Amino acid sequence: MTVHNFYMFDRYGQLLFYAEWNRLRQSGITREEEAKLMYGMLFSIKSFVSRISPLDNTSGSREGFHCYRTSKYALHYMETPTGLKLVLNTDNVAVNVHELLKQIYSQVYVEYVVKNPLCNLSEPIKSDLFEAQLDAVVKQSHVFTSKPT
Amino acid sequence: MADEALYEFLHSELVGYVTEKSAKENKKDDLSALEYMGFSSGYRIIERLTKERPRFNDELDTVKFICTDLWSTIYKKQIDNLRTNHQGVYVLHDCAFRFLSKLSSGRQYLESAPKYVAFTCGLIRGALANLGIKCLVTAEVQNMPGCKFHIQVQRS
Repeated sequence: MTVHNFYMFDRYGQLLFYAEWNRLRQSGITREEEAKLMYGMLFSIKSFVSRISPLDNTSGSREGFHCYRTSKYALHYMETPTGLKLVLNTDNVAVNVHELLKQIYSQVYVEYVVKNPLCNLSEPIKSDLFEAQLDAVVKQSHVFTSKPT
Repeated sequence: MADEALYEFLHSELVGYVTEKSAKENKKDDLSALEYMGFSSGYRIIERLTKERPRFNDELDTVKFICTDLWSTIYKKQIDNLRTNHQGVYVLHDCAFRFLSKLSSGRQYLESAPKYVAFTCGLIRGALANLGIKCLVTAEVQNMPGCKFHIQVQRS
């Protein structure tokens, strides 16, 4: 199992943070363009999912979109009530990635960005401590164990 | 006690407000207002903390009380190391000072560190003042999140 990369967007679609671990192929475009592409796709999937759903999603069920899977990798998505979006790409066999996303949000983002008065919440995250803690949490998780073969 | 996060957020707003105000009045890096707020808070909180306590034997005993009881009430931990030269100089070392622990674990943001320790310097000074010890408190941050508070007792 492995973790490929991680994106974090704010409510307005700005890329707050990007990290990668085992990314074997780059997109060939700049990071900003890639982020825009990624956010646009997520936005479309979200509205697609809420429109096309045959069930009534408004009454107490779980928040619409949470992951998609291709033959090679899986994209996991989490959105907080404040509109913060966390995206983690892993391989197909990873389980319980949502636990990891929640952990990143509550133990890394809230602790080291929200509680850091020197971090402006509407700007990309520059704190080294945040980066180090994120790396530690991801590497410690059971999702991140072996490199892809 | 109120929620810890609330105290943290309020403190960072306080720092932001005071530095912005002093920048407007063209007094850069004037932290005395912050220090004074700490002083009066410390002066009051020590009254509450010591109400059930017998009197202190000596000065060292008083400083020890600051390191253990005052610190654990406010910062939920004790001071990690206390040193003294027995001539009125005490050095309190906190290896993970709460207001700095979320900022950085190295030298990033080091230039902003003094803003976040000024209130606490005042807090210590106020607490000791109400216990009858006049002193000067300064802080030294070399490597975050550690912080050393120097207490210099003024004898008259």
